[in-house]
Amino acid sequence: MTSHTTTPTEASRFRPFAFLTSNITGLVLLIALLATFYSMYATGFTSKFNLYTMGRVMAIDIVIGFAMMVVLVTGGLNLAVGAIGVAAAMFGGWAMESLGLHWGFGALLALAFGGVLGAINGLATVKTGVHSFVITLATMSVYFGAMIVLTEAEAFRALPKDFTVIGKTRYYGFVSALLPIALATGAILLVLFRYTALGRKIKAAGANPRAAELSGIAVGNTVVFCHCLSGVLAALAGLMLTARNGAALPSMAGHVGQDWLLPSFLAPVLGGTLLTGGTLSVVGTALGAILVSVITTGLLLMKFADFWLNLFLGLILLAAVLLDRVRSVYAARRQQMQVD
Amino acid sequence: MRRSLLNIDWLGLLAIAIAGSMALAWYKPAFLSTHNLYVLMLGFSLSVLVALSQMVIIAIGQMNLAVGAIGGMVAIIFAGSMEVLGLPVPVAVLLGILIGVIAGFINGYITVKSGISAFVITLATLSIFKGINLGITEAQPFYAIPDVVKQLGNARLGPVPYLLFLPLAIVVLLTILMTRSVIGKQILAVGANPNAASLSGISLTRVVVIAHIISGSLAAIAGMLTVARLQMGDPMIGNDWLLISFAAPVIGGAVLTGGSVSVIGTCLGVVVITLISNALVLLEVDPYYVQLLLGLLILSAVGLNRYREVRQRRASA
Repeated sequence: MTSHTTTPTEASRFRPFAFLTSNITGLVLLIALLATFYSMYATGFTSKFNLYTMGRVMAIDIVIGFAMMVVLVTGGLNLAVGAIGVAAAMFGGWAMESLGLHWGFGALLALAFGGVLGAINGLATVKTGVHSFVITLATMSVYFGAMIVLTEAEAFRALPKDFTVIGKTRYYGFVSALLPIALATGAILLVLFRYTALGRKIKAAGANPRAAELSGIAVGNTVVFCHCLSGVLAALAGLMLTARNGAALPSMAGHVGQDWLLPSFLAPVLGGTLLTGGTLSVVGTALGAILVSVITTGLLLMKFADFWLNLFLGLILLAAVLLDRVRSVYAARRQQMQVD
Repeated sequence: MRRSLLNIDWLGLLAIAIAGSMALAWYKPAFLSTHNLYVLMLGFSLSVLVALSQMVIIAIGQMNLAVGAIGGMVAIIFAGSMEVLGLPVPVAVLLGILIGVIAGFINGYITVKSGISAFVITLATLSIFKGINLGITEAQPFYAIPDVVKQLGNARLGPVPYLLFLPLAIVVLLTILMTRSVIGKQILAVGANPNAASLSGISLTRVVVIAHIISGSLAAIAGMLTVARLQMGDPMIGNDWLLISFAAPVIGGAVLTGGSVSVIGTCLGVVVITLISNALVLLEVDPYYVQLLLGLLILSAVGLNRYREVRQRRASA
């Protein structure tokens, strides 16, 4: 990890294949390539209905990816993303259906609830000093178990029409109304991490907690904030999924919410967010989620992957991390040569 | 110092397990019925292999998310090779173990050669192994299991299921391996400090790969025993192994950064978890509470370890 030794100008001089070492360009090219391929060979890929359903999946996967990304930047992780998403969505469903609250208020409560669950993860991590893996593994089980016990595994199906219509709305016949929500979320995160002092503090704390602490950043607070934000984003993804399904289902993220585990890591890792903390890419994460949903949709349309889909997604994740590794080794070697 | 601490760890657990059993037996005499003891031991025999499969990886300071996926893949290949290919049982068993070994080798080799965290690698292979499972079965179980396997799954000596014997033997073997053998000490050394271990001449590649192979084989055996237990090759096998695989070693005092695990502690962790699940059934509590309690149990075990650490540090300061 000697990649910090050279200045950016020096590093950019010797890069004929720079676009390959940039995640964003690489992802855009890959998505464009795949989309072209599918529109030629997968019948129905460019149909309005397919674009609309693909957009719905994409929007939810983008937000799930964000929920993991904001914790990865601290150098931790959040296995409970799925459990929080479902628990918060069920809470929102309860507020709308059983309490009869306005859907907007119910949704806000659900987001706040997700934030509280996330903050508990953050506090437990900071206070015990135990890695967030174990904490969130435990709370994943606690949150999901409590949700099942409280709801008796019953769904909320009589949700306000004004809320469920969001999942069915399409603009111009092919743009799902969920997409603007995901993109707006991305814009907020982009501003937070690129232009605010808080965002810079979070990144500094993630890159080197001890140095950040010494330079006066309250590292513990940034970790709690990120976990809280992760909870809010997970709740948002849960609400979007609820709107799409037209009901809040306890099973919508699988057993203890583990169905969200793979998409939540795929998007940020494909987008160049490092698991060691300190760096993140909001645009990359969104593109990562878009790439995954394009690949998935195409494979399903070509009747290629009904049951083999998991295998493909696993191979993609493996290829992505290995490629990333090769790239960084290559970059380090080139820098070494320059130094020599 | 560390050794005595470990001993206290599992003595406490043993006390909890004994006190819990006595309380249950007093409150619900059905606890001591032959059938209930049989159910208890059956639950223990399958969970303990899952927990040990994870424990070996925790020992080297990594984690293996794919334990359940390996178990599930081996389970359906074991069942499928007998039903579809008509392989004799012993050959199918060998095939199952071989697949577990290969899966473990892949996890270990990629992790150590790429230097990427085992978390991501095993998350990817989890998906790959699960994908192979679903691709082969199309989510439909294999029902035509040979009678020998079915009989093994049902056979019992009084309250003792036959399925308990193999896991017990493995517990003994693994205890010897971890405490007495060279590779066991090397595994712990790598977990405690990979750099120091490497500098003192231990081959990281060899140790990490061997640990993952042990983990893969244990998951494979757990998968095949589950087939005997359920009397079918269910593609869902392994789906719910993740939590228990971490819960038992952690409750048993394993340090997740590596280098310190206890086979006995892990076994007692499984005993405590099995007792709690059983108690909820006997007390007619909603089984969904198991999930909640397991999570709280991990949290309290982690909190307790932390509390002990802090106190120890204060005492030495």
